[in-house]
Amino acid sequence: MSFALVRPARLDLEDFARATGTHPDLVRRLVTLGILDARRGPGGELWFAPGQAAAMARIQRLRAGLALNYAALGLVTDLLERIAVLESALRRARRPGG
Amino acid sequence: MATERDFYEILGVPRTASQDEIQRAYRKLARAHHPDINADPGAEERFKEVSEAYDVLSDPQTRRRYDAFGRDFRQVPEGTDPDAWTRQRTRAGAGARGTAGRGGAGGGGPAGGFGYTAGGEVDLDDLLGSLFGGRGRGVGPIPGADQEAELQLTMEEAFRGGRRPVTIAGPGGQRTLDVTIPAGVTNGQRIRLAGQGGSGSGGARAGDLYLIVSVAPHPRYRLDGRDLHVELRVAPWEAVLGASAAVTTPGGDSTVKVPPGSSSGRKLRLRGRGLPNPKGTPGDLYAEVRIMVPAHPSRTERKLFEELAAESDFDPRSPQ
Repeated sequence: MSFALVRPARLDLEDFARATGTHPDLVRRLVTLGILDARRGPGGELWFAPGQAAAMARIQRLRAGLALNYAALGLVTDLLERIAVLESALRRARRPGG
Repeated sequence: MATERDFYEILGVPRTASQDEIQRAYRKLARAHHPDINADPGAEERFKEVSEAYDVLSDPQTRRRYDAFGRDFRQVPEGTDPDAWTRQRTRAGAGARGTAGRGGAGGGGPAGGFGYTAGGEVDLDDLLGSLFGGRGRGVGPIPGADQEAELQLTMEEAFRGGRRPVTIAGPGGQRTLDVTIPAGVTNGQRIRLAGQGGSGSGGARAGDLYLIVSVAPHPRYRLDGRDLHVELRVAPWEAVLGASAAVTTPGGDSTVKVPPGSSSGRKLRLRGRGLPNPKGTPGDLYAEVRIMVPAHPSRTERKLFEELAAESDFDPRSPQ
């Protein structure tokens, strides 16, 4: 299966659900819980940046692999993002030691 | 899976462990090795191992069967007497036909009696497929996680780039990838190998593997971003009178003009002679002047220095 990680720069709910192999209801729920980022279009419809497909995959892996509930998933994904930022800052800080 | 480690060993618990202990060990290991938490390429494999071990040991019934029959317990029909099976197994190598164990009478078991082949066909795909997708059935394919590994390069490799084999841990043991290193990669830069990360489940695409470059320290060069620093040793008279000195750079030899009156610490810049930059201006090379003196001056040298000392009113410690 292929993923629409190319332009168009955004996906609507149906396309996003299809691209990630998930149900639109689940996607909507994750948006409500603030676990997935989405923007609202003029008619209130949801738009997703293509990068959210990778976020969705991570959510699915974490849920399946660690049996996390949705509240915990939000916390874990936030913490993982913060760790990623810190790790790259740490790498940059270590750089002069060549 | 190439490894045949004992499930208890994988979870790090004794064979007498309670279900609680098994659960605790599994939860800890699963958190440590989950591919989204641990980006190490080997973590995914360990996570699968741990999950497989837990799948078997968490259910008291399958655990009992595992204890009795080992890894191949799925090949053994329900209700088989462990002792009979062990006897059978030792004879199986000689091709002996089985005398059925107790419960196996009738031979109608799904595994088809004892005619199993050594290294039998446990359906690993089925087993592992349940790790990501299967637990909640109906979950679709899930793409694999991105992984990260450190790639240590020598200064010369970073400077010139080129192809280089890189060995990475992964599903089914180690694998070697032929990686193209762009000329001028620096510390902390990431080389993306699309589709070489964690494997996806249910036919979904694999994640990407990021090699994070780390340039090994070099006895002569120091790297600062794309700028290279190198020491330039000069004689006292060269420092005073100026000179042309040869300096070796990773890109080849070059000549620097030492201006007259250069003290130690003066940095002479060779523009564009640092690390190349695939997307812009290359770094610079800085040759830092360091005045060296003869440790054992000859009689004449000594005399000349004494003359100079008597003649000169230069005071290096005067506050300007």
